[in-house]
Amino acid sequence: MPQLIKVRPTKTELVKLKRRLSLAERVQKILKDRLTILTMEFLQVTRETVAAKQRLVDVLAEAHKALSIATGYHGYIALEKEFIASEADLKLVAGSRNIAGVRIPSFELTGRHNSVTGYNLVDTSASLDHASGLFREGLDAIVELAELQRGLELLGMEISRTKRITNALEYIIVPALQVTISYLHMKFEERDREEKGRLKRVKMLVGRG
Amino acid sequence: MSGDSAYEKMLQECLRSELRLVNAALPTSQKPLSDLLCEEYPHVVCTDGSFHLFKRRELEYCAGITNPDEQEALLLPMIIEVGGGRTEAAVVCRGQVEAKVASTVLNMPITSEQGRIRIYKPQLALLRKTLKTTTQYVFLRDSPH
Repeated sequence: MPQLIKVRPTKTELVKLKRRLSLAERVQKILKDRLTILTMEFLQVTRETVAAKQRLVDVLAEAHKALSIATGYHGYIALEKEFIASEADLKLVAGSRNIAGVRIPSFELTGRHNSVTGYNLVDTSASLDHASGLFREGLDAIVELAELQRGLELLGMEISRTKRITNALEYIIVPALQVTISYLHMKFEERDREEKGRLKRVKMLVGRG
Repeated sequence: MSGDSAYEKMLQECLRSELRLVNAALPTSQKPLSDLLCEEYPHVVCTDGSFHLFKRRELEYCAGITNPDEQEALLLPMIIEVGGGRTEAAVVCRGQVEAKVASTVLNMPITSEQGRIRIYKPQLALLRKTLKTTTQYVFLRDSPH
């Protein structure tokens, strides 16, 4: 049973309550739409996160296997020399995008799509190229996973917050306003009936006199 | 009596801020795809001063399904209207190029009606899956029709 809001039984209060009810219902509608969109996006991001995580695990497993083969072929010391020579700075563009009022981070690796590997192609074999390519893929997968996972956390938090507000509106605020408005209507009708009764009585007394 | 109590005022303010929040950080303008492809960091400025970054991969996908004239006409991010008492969403389109892009992504014929392409929730999920940064939600309070 919704709780009655304590207000003075006046027409002004009734108008105020009606305004509040209209605002609450408007917000409730919009929040329900928002919740639907956020849930849809959350499910989508969840699916993508699972896929990205699986891809990362697969790529890294494959890359380590390829690196082991390359190490066995070239020797650890020779490979380390090549790795030192091929060190390069990565450029990560970080920004954000907005999903229904939630700011989700957006990352993108740039400037890595050239064919320059950095190490000496004459002294190395195709097995090292293969390992290098796989690690590059792994790097892309790590960046993608970081973006997705943070997005998932933010969307989850926003969904639970929005759900709390929607539930409060649906089960507490709107019913309380509706009950109070109907109580005030009944109060006014009762007052009208009393007034009519009083007038009748006065008329009767005047008629007798 | 507590009709105008601080709690009630706070509650009303909270509800109003929720209305503001859903449409916060919307892009202040849309840019043609051809311009965005030339930018080093393709982005648009949002109403709160932040930047909405486009993924180059998505821009290249859009460029792959449009010709140079259409790239001039395609304004990004594409606006998706939600709410306003409707069960379906609507993609705002000025020309036919938005319909072409949506049609290619959804792999189905699409027609625009009164400057809007109506799409249902499953199609919306598919569209958003492909065009994450090149589309943007806008929540309507009342139906424009």
